[in-house]
Amino acid sequence: MQKNVPRLFILTLLGLLAFAPVAARADALRVCEDPNYLPFSNRAGQGFENEIAAFIARTLGARLTYTWETERGPGGFEQFVHDTLDSKRCDVLVDVPYASENVMTTRPYYISSYVFVYEKSKHYDITSMDSPELQRLRIGFESDTPAENGLKIRALILHAVPFDASDEPGGSPAEMLDAIQSGRIGVGVTWEPAVGSFLQQRPQLAVVPVPNSRSQGSPEQYSFPMAMGVRLKDTVTRDRLNSVIAAHAVELTRILARDGVKLYKPGDVATR
Amino acid sequence: MNRILTASVATAVLAIGVAGVWRVSTAQERVSLADLSKDPNQWVMPSQNYANTRNSTLSEITPENVKNLRVAWTMSTGATRGHEGQPLVVGDTMYYQSAYPNHVYAIDLSDYHTKWEYTPKQDPFAVSVACCDLVNRGVAYADGKIITDALDGQIIALSASDGHVMWDSHNADPEAGQTVTDAPLIVHNKVIVGVSGGEFGVRGYLTAYDLATGHRVWRAYSEGPDSDVLIGSDFSGPHNAGVSTWKGDQWKIGGGTTWGWYSYDPELNLVYYGTGNPGTWDPTQRPGDNKWSMTIFARNPDTGMAKWGYQMTPHDAWDYDGINEMILADINVKGNKVPALVHFDRNGFAYELDRRNGKLLLANKFDPDVNWASSIDLSTGRPNVVASKETHAGVNVGNICPAAMGSKDQQPASFDATTGYFIVPTNHNCMDYKAFAVKYKSGFPYVGAIVKMYPGPGGNRGAVIAYDPNDGKIVWSDPERFPAWGGVLTTTNGIAFYGTMDSWFKAVDAKTGALLWKFHMPSGIIGNPITYMHGGHQYVALLSGVGGWAGIGLAAGLTEPTAGLGAVNAAQDLARYTQLGGDLVVFTL
Repeated sequence: MQKNVPRLFILTLLGLLAFAPVAARADALRVCEDPNYLPFSNRAGQGFENEIAAFIARTLGARLTYTWETERGPGGFEQFVHDTLDSKRCDVLVDVPYASENVMTTRPYYISSYVFVYEKSKHYDITSMDSPELQRLRIGFESDTPAENGLKIRALILHAVPFDASDEPGGSPAEMLDAIQSGRIGVGVTWEPAVGSFLQQRPQLAVVPVPNSRSQGSPEQYSFPMAMGVRLKDTVTRDRLNSVIAAHAVELTRILARDGVKLYKPGDVATR
Repeated sequence: MNRILTASVATAVLAIGVAGVWRVSTAQERVSLADLSKDPNQWVMPSQNYANTRNSTLSEITPENVKNLRVAWTMSTGATRGHEGQPLVVGDTMYYQSAYPNHVYAIDLSDYHTKWEYTPKQDPFAVSVACCDLVNRGVAYADGKIITDALDGQIIALSASDGHVMWDSHNADPEAGQTVTDAPLIVHNKVIVGVSGGEFGVRGYLTAYDLATGHRVWRAYSEGPDSDVLIGSDFSGPHNAGVSTWKGDQWKIGGGTTWGWYSYDPELNLVYYGTGNPGTWDPTQRPGDNKWSMTIFARNPDTGMAKWGYQMTPHDAWDYDGINEMILADINVKGNKVPALVHFDRNGFAYELDRRNGKLLLANKFDPDVNWASSIDLSTGRPNVVASKETHAGVNVGNICPAAMGSKDQQPASFDATTGYFIVPTNHNCMDYKAFAVKYKSGFPYVGAIVKMYPGPGGNRGAVIAYDPNDGKIVWSDPERFPAWGGVLTTTNGIAFYGTMDSWFKAVDAKTGALLWKFHMPSGIIGNPITYMHGGHQYVALLSGVGGWAGIGLAAGLTEPTAGLGAVNAAQDLARYTQLGGDLVVFTL
């Protein structure tokens, strides 16, 4: 027992020493962003993630600094987290799914959804993955997303077309919208925030949320609470961000809405 | 004066056991809904009575003459999706509700003409978010009102005499994934209803509305601080566990919906119900017990305050919703007479508790093939989970029994007072389960699970069993080709009635399970039989119309073997036995 006390003390000291440089400094907000991935972010400061970052920095009275690193190289998001947050080149990712792996997340600050997108003039009757209309349409989907899974379990994948904006540096989520408007596909299934700002310029496209479902037995989730991400165990930065989210929920959602991010029923997440 | 007179006449009518033609509309009779439910000639509550026993003393139909049952009258419900639920009989009128679009009918039992009908105007988006077919489990009656809920979350009070809308309240929001499918319970002057769906991004809740005005009186969430869960100082369990058993803020999207059946003990003044699975299907992502998901709650119906709560499946990793009915019966458990609550859970265990305080007395498997846990520790109340059957993100865990549909779902069991057995309709499917963690693919969030369900050992996908609560043993078991998704009615002279998904309506001997009679119905059965007297004769009525989660493949037009996993896989040959379509079918001798 007596022996344990100094050992504990030393461990605590070591822990503090190890922890001190890891925690974000209060006078800086160091974010990592993709330099070329609209509508999320680019080096010119455009994109809703940049606007959210700027708002958070202003609110905290912190200096905003960027590390530009693509999320879309080999290794994907996991590699990105390793090369940025975990390598301590930055402290904050502005837009990650709540409770996602590899990072610690703040409380959610918005909920959005995967959506069906098609030409309004077609008047399709599509309200869910089980809508019969989908059986006869060419369906565009983003690879490795819940949309692909939903199409697979209904055998709709046989007449579907993959898109891969999230894996190819330089690729754009707008490519799926172009394919809808050129008639290459009849309907696209994509994450609304990935196309929201492009849709503002394309009022001829209809946008319908894909409801979560269990109609096939397996659970299918298409709406997601989104949060900010910090390094695992960096509770200091998380708590700073949480305080901003709690106090400024309205402003945050206003910024998102202005940039075309459609918010689907924040429910209890934002109201409490 | 007039009111008092009417009430005493009603009592007199009850006393001599004849269904009268009186109109029930006074405050005095509202108090006596419990008494009204004791009249075997009527069926005034969805589950027959507050105790949810579904056990009638009517005796014109006997084990000897049941073979002579014949169709007395039928009626199309005007709806094609799954018909869970049952009719009510109040006085000389039958009331029932169809599947979506939720037509409500009042039928005059003297000549079967429609006294009135009502169809709610609904938000069509509700159809796309309903999890497991567009079902409804029936209307409730009290104080001259028929209370109905619509899929899109409306709770509507209709005049029992002419069907006009007396009030309309909003209990759920389809845009947030919420729907309403349950049968309300009316206690005192409160309408108690739950919520379905909302698997992701919301918290479940139970709500009480004022019977007279439709105004919300209280709402008890399944997760969150005690002030939200309506837990006070006299609660027998841990405090603030609705927050402390979750990581961070996850309780805010904690799930725990409340879409099952509700029961009530007038002497203890407690309402009982169960909560569903926690918010996300990936258990790895939500460490902790995740209270109060998967919980049996006892609440004061006037205030909503919880007296006790017992969590059956802490940290659920299998989707074993705890919403099945709680049957209240004073029975012997291991030789001791107790005021018990008996609950056959999705997780395959039959829970027997002292309903005064939630003390667990016995919890045995009611399907011997259940393998996710070896037993329930009666001192701690926790399951002894079999480690190899625990699901984790990224791992395909094979041969878990029961499947996510459970050893039993919402289909209500009956307590037969004569044999002392519970007659229980069960499912018998197993599953492979692979959950995925929440991932992010550069701008695109992803999470999910793949579930494959298939028939359990023996190849039958369901069974109807008799369960002796004294020693926690199965007495007899009648295997069924498909999940036995219809409820059970027993009569105290020894008959158990139930319908099957392959369209058979059966009467069996409650003591032995021996088949006494069967009849081929217009469609498969997922509804619950009732019985009543009219014109001096006994009738048995039930809704026909296959669907529900077990029949979803058929209901959604998904009959290709490759078209789906999960539920479709487990019942893909159903189309060879039945087709969709809703009918009311009524039998007599």
